[in-house]
Amino acid sequence: MSDIATYSGRRSLRNRFGYEERSAIFFLAPVMAVLMSVAVFPILYSLYLSFFQIKLTRPNRTPFVWFQNYTDLFTNELFWTSVRRTVVFSIVSVVAIAMIALLVSLLLNQNFRGRRVLSTILLVPWAIPYVANALMWKWIYDSGYGALNGLLYQLGFIEDYVIWLGDQDKTLLLIANAFVWKEVPLATILLLVTLKSIPADLYQAARVDGASVWQRFVHITLPSMKPGFMLVMIYETMMAIRHFDLFFILTEGGPGHASHVLSWHIYVETFRNLSFGSGAAMSYVLALVTFALSYLFIRTLGRKV
Amino acid sequence: MARIRFENVNKKYANGFHAVKDLNLDIQDEEFVVLLGPSGCGKSTTLNMIAGLEEVTDGALIFDDQMVNYMPPHRRDVAMVFQSYALYPHKTIFDNIAFGLQMRKQSKEEIERRVRNAARRLEIEHMLDRRPGQLSGGQRQRVALGRAMVRDPAVFLMDEPLSNLDAALRVSMRAEIKELHQEMQTTFVYVTHDQAEALTLADRIVVMSDGIVQQVGTPDEIYEHPANTFVASFLGSPPMNYIDGEIEIEGEDRALFRHDSVTLRLPENLSRKLNTDSGHRVRLGIRAEDVDEKGEVVEGQIIRGTVNSVLPVGSDQFLGMAFGDDELFFRVGKDLRHKTGENVTLAVDVSRLHFFDAATGKSLVA
Ligand SMILES: Nc1ncnc2c1ncn2[C@@H]1O[C@H](COP(=O)(O)OP(=O)(O)O)[C@@H](O)[C@H]1O
Ligand SMILES: [Mg+2]
Repeated sequence: MSDIATYSGRRSLRNRFGYEERSAIFFLAPVMAVLMSVAVFPILYSLYLSFFQIKLTRPNRTPFVWFQNYTDLFTNELFWTSVRRTVVFSIVSVVAIAMIALLVSLLLNQNFRGRRVLSTILLVPWAIPYVANALMWKWIYDSGYGALNGLLYQLGFIEDYVIWLGDQDKTLLLIANAFVWKEVPLATILLLVTLKSIPADLYQAARVDGASVWQRFVHITLPSMKPGFMLVMIYETMMAIRHFDLFFILTEGGPGHASHVLSWHIYVETFRNLSFGSGAAMSYVLALVTFALSYLFIRTLGRKV
Repeated sequence: MARIRFENVNKKYANGFHAVKDLNLDIQDEEFVVLLGPSGCGKSTTLNMIAGLEEVTDGALIFDDQMVNYMPPHRRDVAMVFQSYALYPHKTIFDNIAFGLQMRKQSKEEIERRVRNAARRLEIEHMLDRRPGQLSGGQRQRVALGRAMVRDPAVFLMDEPLSNLDAALRVSMRAEIKELHQEMQTTFVYVTHDQAEALTLADRIVVMSDGIVQQVGTPDEIYEHPANTFVASFLGSPPMNYIDGEIEIEGEDRALFRHDSVTLRLPENLSRKLNTDSGHRVRLGIRAEDVDEKGEVVEGQIIRGTVNSVLPVGSDQFLGMAFGDDELFFRVGKDLRHKTGENVTLAVDVSRLHFFDAATGKSLVA
């Protein structure tokens, strides 16, 4: 009787959530507080900043400029250069990652001696942090004592040591190479998981149906790998368009503007030109593109075959 | 048209496991042969050797007059239905059925005609544009059958094709497969672990255990004259009852089976066919249905015991009867209601008794 009376009465805040909900809120509160201060607040604050003209060189003049920081981007030639560099870098990297990961995963899906050892070695680049990877490749590409020069020189492919990263035409490709090296392991594992999930009797059925090795690959393996492939493409595109460490450590956007990608451009605009407003605006453009990709990414993950 | 012969065929897997041992089998053209046995006994391995999906390790596999040990699957003119159906998930039902014909470079019109015919025959015409994921288990089963049918193969192989279906569908599909065999007039080799399925479908049954053929024969031969206790136990439900005892020969055609609590007198022709001496330890087998609770009570043709359990099974009831330390199971009509603890006397059909060597399990009846 009294219970029914309580529930039909006006709900107080205390009654709105059951015991379980209340304890859940209690336990989640600290994490929420941390996330609010380190993630949500900076995101909103940089959105706020992107509507002002803020130059730390003129700290007392920070007018509210509406969307001018965004509209200015259309006429900013260097910004468009950086977009083009990012697009080239991303396309080259993602295509290379996908192709190499496909080949390696097909190889590792075969039964042969030493497969486990090879799989383990393959994981090494994945375990290396991005910064350490960048420092390692800086050493490899070094014009004076680099491993690449040493190797090619001793094999007789080059007469003299080459200043690899000094060549405008090659820089972006060499950086992409370092990025691909780091990313291939994860992509390979994602594809390998997809490969392993293909039922063996599909191949048996196809053999009885008279399909050759190549036809089995085209009619069974490739279509079955599509979800894994989509996943790799989208994820790696996200990683590539935002990549910063290699450009910072290897070339600082150079030589000239040869490796001046968007993430580097934002860094220069914000921390070298100290132009926080337009830096924030460009970050938002990049973030929106990334959001769009991650939306695709999650939809792909959620979709059944 | 194909006759399939196994001559001393052995199969050892790469890990050394000896899955099929000294298989000798002669499958006639247009015959329906069922490979029957418990899980892991080597049925699928045998079928896969016929398909060419597994290589023969030793011995000869012969189609008609040609040794096919090294012939790849697509040149063998076989079609196969897999337990999990193995439909191509990204292809439409039409393309699933057509794939084998497309790989064989048949003309578009011919493919279209054959696929439509098969689909009409299997009543799946309206789903040709769908994909396997959108079909029920029974419908997928039909597509798998269709994919094999359109090929019009010389040999039709099926690996437990009905085991993923529910009970009712399984029984109706049995009838359809039997019909299909009559229409197609080709050799069928069918794998199952379900004895009822084997008994309904087969022209001949091959009973296997641990990679070894236990017996080959018509369903009647296998059921009525099991070669050993393994075959006897594997067929029939509930399984055959066993009582260990001794044989006493009283004359040319007079023999007795003796056990502490039961003595049975064998009829003349069974006595004559029994290959054993007085005093030999034998294992008597009585099928659950070979008793009659209302039959004439004649000494030497009855078995007495106490009812342990009563299990109604629709048309009949199973009686569990305490017998020494064992429990025997019999199948009786259901007009008499039995209660646990009740003493019953059952008339035994002594002409249908089975005798096995107690030590080897081999049948002692010629
Ligand atoms: N590729 C393989 N490698 C090693 N052993 C196998 C392989 N395939 C099957 N076996 C073994 O061979 C035996 C027979 O298998 P199978 O023919 O599939 O049995 P069934 O179809 O009668 O259930 C099983 O014990 C199984 O574990
Ligand atoms: Mg099997």
